Amino acid sequence: MSNSTKASLWVRYTSKSPVFVTVFSVVLGLVVGALVIIATSPVILHSWSQIFSSWGGIFHALKVTLDNVGAAYRSIFTGSIVDPPQFWHALTTGKDWAVALTPISETLTYTAPLLIASIGVGIAFQAGMFNIGANGQAVMGGIVGTAAGSMLHLPTAVHVPLTLLAGILGGVIAGIIPGLLKAFTGAHEVIITLMLNYVIAFFLIYTLLSTALQQPGQQNDVSRYLDPTAQLSPLFGAHSGLRVNWGIIIAGLVVAFAWWFLERSTLGFDFRVTGANPKTAQASGINAKVVIVLVFLISGGLAGLAGVVQVSSTTHFLDGGFLVGSAGIGFTAITVSLLGRNNPIGIIWGSLLFAALNVGGRVMQASTTIPLDLATIIQSVIVLFVATPVLVKEIFRLRVEHAEAVQLSVKGWS
Amino acid sequence: MSISEITSTAVQSIKRPVGRSRAIGTLTLLLGAFTTLIFGLGANSASKSNITFNPTNLIGVIPPHVGDLSVPSKASCLLLGLCIVAIGLETLLRRPVKGLMVRFGGSAVLFVVGLLIWTVRTPGPAPFGSINMTAVLVGSSPLVMVLVFGALSGVMCERAGVVNIAIEGQFIGGAFFGSMIASTTHNFILAALMGALIGALLGLLLSFLSLRYLSDQIIVGVVIVTMLASLSSYLNVQVLSPYPQYNTGDLAPKLAIPLLAKIPILGPVFFNQNGFFYLMIILVGVISFALFKTRYGLHVRAVGEHPKAAETVGIDVIKIRYFNVIVGGAIAGIGGVAFVASYGQFQPGCTSGLGYIALAALIFGKWRPSGAVVASIIFGVSVYLANNLQTYNVPVRSAILQTFPYLITIGVVAGLIGRVRAPAADGQPYKRD
Repeated sequence: MSNSTKASLWVRYTSKSPVFVTVFSVVLGLVVGALVIIATSPVILHSWSQIFSSWGGIFHALKVTLDNVGAAYRSIFTGSIVDPPQFWHALTTGKDWAVALTPISETLTYTAPLLIASIGVGIAFQAGMFNIGANGQAVMGGIVGTAAGSMLHLPTAVHVPLTLLAGILGGVIAGIIPGLLKAFTGAHEVIITLMLNYVIAFFLIYTLLSTALQQPGQQNDVSRYLDPTAQLSPLFGAHSGLRVNWGIIIAGLVVAFAWWFLERSTLGFDFRVTGANPKTAQASGINAKVVIVLVFLISGGLAGLAGVVQVSSTTHFLDGGFLVGSAGIGFTAITVSLLGRNNPIGIIWGSLLFAALNVGGRVMQASTTIPLDLATIIQSVIVLFVATPVLVKEIFRLRVEHAEAVQLSVKGWS
Repeated sequence: MSISEITSTAVQSIKRPVGRSRAIGTLTLLLGAFTTLIFGLGANSASKSNITFNPTNLIGVIPPHVGDLSVPSKASCLLLGLCIVAIGLETLLRRPVKGLMVRFGGSAVLFVVGLLIWTVRTPGPAPFGSINMTAVLVGSSPLVMVLVFGALSGVMCERAGVVNIAIEGQFIGGAFFGSMIASTTHNFILAALMGALIGALLGLLLSFLSLRYLSDQIIVGVVIVTMLASLSSYLNVQVLSPYPQYNTGDLAPKLAIPLLAKIPILGPVFFNQNGFFYLMIILVGVISFALFKTRYGLHVRAVGEHPKAAETVGIDVIKIRYFNVIVGGAIAGIGGVAFVASYGQFQPGCTSGLGYIALAALIFGKWRPSGAVVASIIFGVSVYLANNLQTYNVPVRSAILQTFPYLITIGVVAGLIGRVRAPAADGQPYKRD
C-alpha cells in the first residue's frame, strides 16, 4: 500500500515538472553515447567475445566496458568542470589554482557565445518563429565585427563597444532579410534562413580573400587580427592563465535583458502572444508584420553579437572554418534553446551543459582517443528526446499529459 | 473546357500577378544588359572562342569525332545578350502569367553560355582556348544525379505532408554505409540496398517521431542531419581510419548502352553512366506516374493537401505518410550511395550540403518530379561550374557563383521569381480525432 502511494507520488511529481523530461533526456543521451562507445571500441568488443572462454569472463567484460565508458565520461567531467585531485591540491597547498580552475574557465569561455546565440534563437521561438539561420547571422556578426576590430584603431574604451556593435549590426543585416521577406512576401523563414546560411558561408570565404579583410602576406582564407584594443580581455588578467573573459559578463547581461524583455516589456508580450496564438495577436491589434521584422532583428542581432564575442574573446581572427560544422554555435543554439524550453533561465543551464560537453569532449579526445564527435552525437540524441516529451514519458513510465503532445510553434512551409 | 480549367482561368484572371512579371522582366533585362555590355563589348573583336564536343578521357565507348565550333567571341556574346534583353522586354511588355520560370531559366542558360564563351576567348586570359561542352555536362551529371535523388525523396515526403529536411542526413548515412558495403563486397547493388535501408530507417525515425509523437518535423530533421554528420565523422575516425579496407573508394562501373552511347554529346551524358544514373531516370518516371496518374498518387496528394478530408473518404492518412516518408528516405539513402559510387572514398562532410541544395531544387521545382529534375540540372551545373571556374581563370570568384542555387531559391520562395506553393498540409502534424 505504502509502496503504491510512493509510486504515485513519484509519478505525480515527475509528470508535472517539465524539468524531469529534460533530465531524463540527458540520461538517455548519455546512455546512447555509451552504446556508441561500446559498439566502436575494439577493446570492449574483444572482451565480450571472450566471455565464454573462461570462468568470470562476463565479469571481466563488464569491467572492461565500465572502465572504458567510465574513462570517457570521467574525462568529459574533469575536463569541463573540475578535476577533484587538482582541486584538492589547490585547496590544501594554496597553489596551482589556475590549473584547478582551467576546466570551468574553458567551459565558461565556450558558454558565452553559445548562450547569447541561444537566447536569440529562443526569443524567436517564443514568438513562434524558427530562426534556423542563427549560424549565418553569427558569421555575419563575426565578419563585420572583425572588420571594425581590425581596420579601426581606437582606444579600448571605444573600440570594444564599437566592435561589439558592429557585430550586432552584421547580425541584424543578416537577420532582417528573412524578417522582411517573411513579413512582406509570406516566404517561410525556415527556407530563407537555411539558404542564407550557405550564402553567408560563401560570403565569408569571399571577404576573407578580399584585400580589405585578408591578413597581409597571406594567400589563404585568413583574416587580419583584431587590434588588442578590440579584444575582450580575460576576467582575471592576461597572466592568470584562465581564458574566461568579459564575454561571459556580456552573456549574463543578455540573459538579464532577455528576461526583462520577455517578462516585463510590452513588445516582449506582443512577441509571446504572437507565438502563442497569431490569431489572438491579430485580433488584439498587434501588427504581425512589425513583430516578424522585429523578432528577426533582435534574434539576428543577438546571433551577430555571439559571433563577434566568439572572435574577439578566443581566436581574435577569422578563418574559413569559422563556425563551420561542429563548431557551428548557431546550430547548437537551436538545440540549446529547445533544451532550455526557450526561456532564458533554462537556456543558461542548456548552454552550460552543451558547452561542458564540447569542452570536456575535447579533453576526452586527447586522453582516450574517442573523437569529439561523441559530444555532438550525445547532444543531438538529447534534443531528439526533448523534442519528443511523450516518448520520454513512455520510456520512463511517467504520466502522459496530452496537452504536451503538440507543443511547438513551427507548422510547415506555407 | 472542363470545370477545373474554367475555375483555374477565373482564379488567374482575378489574381493576375503583375508585380511578379515586372520583377522577373527587370531581372532578365539586367542579365541581358550585363551580358551585352560586359561580355559583348568587353571582348576583343578579334577574339575567337572554341567550343569542343569530344569527351575527354573516356574509357571504352567513344562517340565519333565532332568538329570544334569556333565562334567570334564578341559577336556571339552580343547576340546572346540581345536575346536575353529581348526576352526581358517581352516579359515586361506582355506581362505573361504562365511560363515565367521557363523564360527566366532560358535566360539563365543563355547567360551561362555567354559566360563560357567570354571565358575561353583567345587571345584572352584563359589558359585554354576552348571549352569542352561535353566535359562540362559529363562532369556535372553526378551532381545532378545526387540532387535528383534528394529532390525526389523530398517530393515523396512533402507531397504526403511531411517536411523532410533530413535529406542531407540520409545522404550522409547512405554514403557512409553504402561505401562500406561497396568496399567489402564490391557489389554496388548490395551497396544501394544498404543505402536504401539506412535511408529508410532514418525516414522511419522521422515519421515515427513526427507522426506518432507529433514532434516538430523541422526540428527532428535538423537533428537527424546533425546526428548523422557527427556519427559519420565519429565512425570515420574509429572504424574507417584503422581499417582502410572498408573505404576503398571503388567507383561504380559505367554501363554504356550499345549504339546510344555513341551519339555525340548526348551519348556520354545520358547513355554512358553508372547504374545509379539509369535508376534515377527510371525513378523520376515511376514517381511522376505514381503521383499523378494512379489512385495511390491521388491519395498521397489528398493527404498532403487536406488530411481531414482524405480521412473522411476513408484514406489512411498516417499509413500513407509512413509509407511515403520511409520510401523517400530510402531514395535519399540511395542518393548517398550514388554520391560515393561516382566520386570515390567517403569523407566526413563529403556531401557538403548537397541535401540542402536538393531541398532547394524541390522547392524551385514546385514539388514536382519533373520540376525537380530541371532545378537539379540548373543547380548541379552551376555548382560544378563554380567548383571548376578557377581552371579557366574566370575573374568571377567561385564563392559568388556557389551562392546561386541558394539565392535563386530565396527568390522563388519569396515570390520574386515565379511563385511556388507547398502542399497545404506540408509539415503540419496530423491527429485523428
